[in-house]
Amino acid sequence: MASTARSVCTAICSLRAFGGKNHRFLSTSLLRLAAGGESDQPPKFMPPTKPVILDSAHKLPVRRFLSPEFIPPRQRTNPLKFALERKDMVKRRTTLNIPEFYVGSILAVTMWDPHASEKTNRFVGICIQRSGKGLGATFVLRNIIDGQGVEICFELYNPRIQQVEVLKLEKRLDDNLLYLRDALPEYSTVDINMKPVPSSISGEVALNQLKVKMKPKPWSKRWERPKYKVQGIRFDLCLSLEKMEEAQKWAQPWLEFDMLKEYDTTSLEESLRQELQEEASK
Amino acid sequence: MSMQVDMAQVRRFGTVLTQMLRLPQHCTFSVSASAAAIQKMTRVRVVDNSTLGTALHHRPPRVIHVYTKNGIGKVGDRVLLAIKGQKKKALIVGHKMPGDRMTPRFDSNNVVLIEDNGNPTGTRIKVPIPTHLRKMEGEYSKLLAIAHRFV
Amino acid sequence: MAAWGCRFLRLGDPLLRGTRFIVSRSAPTGESSVLGVQFVRTIKSTTWWDEHLSEENSSFLRKVIPEEYSSQTASMLNPLKDEPWPRHKWEEGSRRVGLVALKMGMMPIWTKTGDKRVVTMLQVLDCHVIKHLSKEDFDGHTAALIVGGKNVSPFYRSEEHMEMFRNAGVPPKQKLTTFKVSDNAIIKPGTPLYAAHFRPGHYIDVTAKTIGKGFQGVMKRYGFKGQPASHGQTKTHRRPGASGPGGDPAKVWKGKKMPGRMGNVYDTAFGLKVWRINTKHNVIYVNGSVPGHRNCLVKVRDTIVPTRLGAAQNPPFPTFFADEDEELPEDLYDEDVFQFGEPSVSLA
Repeated sequence: MASTARSVCTAICSLRAFGGKNHRFLSTSLLRLAAGGESDQPPKFMPPTKPVILDSAHKLPVRRFLSPEFIPPRQRTNPLKFALERKDMVKRRTTLNIPEFYVGSILAVTMWDPHASEKTNRFVGICIQRSGKGLGATFVLRNIIDGQGVEICFELYNPRIQQVEVLKLEKRLDDNLLYLRDALPEYSTVDINMKPVPSSISGEVALNQLKVKMKPKPWSKRWERPKYKVQGIRFDLCLSLEKMEEAQKWAQPWLEFDMLKEYDTTSLEESLRQELQEEASK
Repeated sequence: MSMQVDMAQVRRFGTVLTQMLRLPQHCTFSVSASAAAIQKMTRVRVVDNSTLGTALHHRPPRVIHVYTKNGIGKVGDRVLLAIKGQKKKALIVGHKMPGDRMTPRFDSNNVVLIEDNGNPTGTRIKVPIPTHLRKMEGEYSKLLAIAHRFV
Repeated sequence: MAAWGCRFLRLGDPLLRGTRFIVSRSAPTGESSVLGVQFVRTIKSTTWWDEHLSEENSSFLRKVIPEEYSSQTASMLNPLKDEPWPRHKWEEGSRRVGLVALKMGMMPIWTKTGDKRVVTMLQVLDCHVIKHLSKEDFDGHTAALIVGGKNVSPFYRSEEHMEMFRNAGVPPKQKLTTFKVSDNAIIKPGTPLYAAHFRPGHYIDVTAKTIGKGFQGVMKRYGFKGQPASHGQTKTHRRPGASGPGGDPAKVWKGKKMPGRMGNVYDTAFGLKVWRINTKHNVIYVNGSVPGHRNCLVKVRDTIVPTRLGAAQNPPFPTFFADEDEELPEDLYDEDVFQFGEPSVSLA
């Protein structure tokens, strides 16, 4: 009996130790069983307590995310226009699940295509750009298939889109990865049959610190120029120090102090989030 | 000292270059920028396995005529190529310039060599071609049949 | 005093104090107490609307009048309900009244086959019939209705201008337009007009002032070809070239296209399809672009394009009456439009 108790104790201990590593663990009636084992009476049956799933991940609040196309552009337009558009966007989202994703995430989009075999077309690729506001929002997926770079610009609210899956949720150093066109092809190659990588719904989104190597110049754009603010390129491999200094001639450091260009959307985002929550609870 | 740094950079650059050369996608010439889709004098990439298209030549294939009204070729338009010193018809199967939303844009200007009657010269197309080419099913059904992947 | 002192009179108390301060600084000796005050000779024929009001009264009026107007338009009531004008049936060839609407902006919509269309959103804002002009009053050929849109402040408006609105029993409007209507389509002044006046599938014409482009050359203004950029061309690249024949007429013909002010003129976009109507916010979703900048007021009427006339069979006639006609759903769609909330497009 004592041996069983000991084994139970070790089991608990190991469970505790394990609990530190694993986020989800079960608190069961093991302790109670162990207490029963101390006395010599045969252990009376006690209904096991309901297992309570303690999820340490729950301690972190669920990540709050607002899709960027909900934020209206700063212009002198009647806010009613954006409100009407938002209503349609929310309506579309009731039938199509548009998940949270960022530039740098790997996505698979299934769209209805009258010309394709089986009438659907699935494209897997890395998201290199998100643009547009409101119903006209788009995102660009890039992949290299059979050694041929292919990009497709998808409209987020196009009714032809049947499914949007996030295969890998991550961010990159930049908000725009158009420079992958001039980078070595391995950086934009994604396996077509890639399995989704699970990701948690809480905490920060993983930031991929990957810096890419570029093809030799000429590039489609001079990415070293300060206006692109590119972080994710190994410039030390392709450009000399003099060239990098030369590029700084185009720097406009005063622009960041231009208060007229500031567009603080935090309060706007908060109100939008509330509005969307209210509509979701309806 | 600076000499050494330079040498190191050169060596690193060299490794990048060799990596590039090893890749199958690399073409030996730069194709034209995406100012207009395909027009006269555009350098293009032949993506089928015909002997004319795959043979190396010191001069890239160029478009010398586009059979459209405005002289600008998009996916599905016929062009006349100057390739290895001969004239040859070809069909555009992809270009760098972005077209409509939800249609693919390619990193190079791709063409497939065709005979005058629309039959392909080669027997296989090596790269993916856009599905909306299928709209021309009747005219180029043989060409579409030798494509092995659509995007 | 009436001739000289008006600018001086307009200066409120705080301004006057400021002036005195400046005077005392600039002329400490005090030789002239009104040295700093500018005297301008103006002809004083009218008074400011708040000239004889105290500050509290004028601010009160500024606050209460917009409230009253908005409640008046929100109540959807026809103030002259007492004796409605007789209504006639729609028949082939009738011309209905149009609307004054506010251009909100553009957005995409999709058809049920998955094709994208861009639409312009036009909001019908406080649109009322202001005045009826009979055949004799107008031009002797047809009757007309004056329609106004978007309530504005009644202050700074002349008495004659206000009288028209007072007769109709509606707030003053920013924009007035005249619509020629057939005799069976006349509506009593004061009647509110709504977006449901048009229905999805109708075709409309939209008239507005185009965006002003300033002084432009002939290439931008009239699409002239200009001159070559290269091949030895110097000094002229965008000039108009010759302006006509030489010796025989010995003049430049009238109406010769030349550089000048471009835009800011009335222009009409013809035959635009109505894709969707929002009856709650009174928004018309019109195919394509319409002239004018964002937030400008446009004139909307049934199209005159002959091939599109057949689309509007049996429209709400003479207009849609919110308090009497049937209850409409919030959104009216054309049958080809994909409605968000439906499952994704997948046709066989």
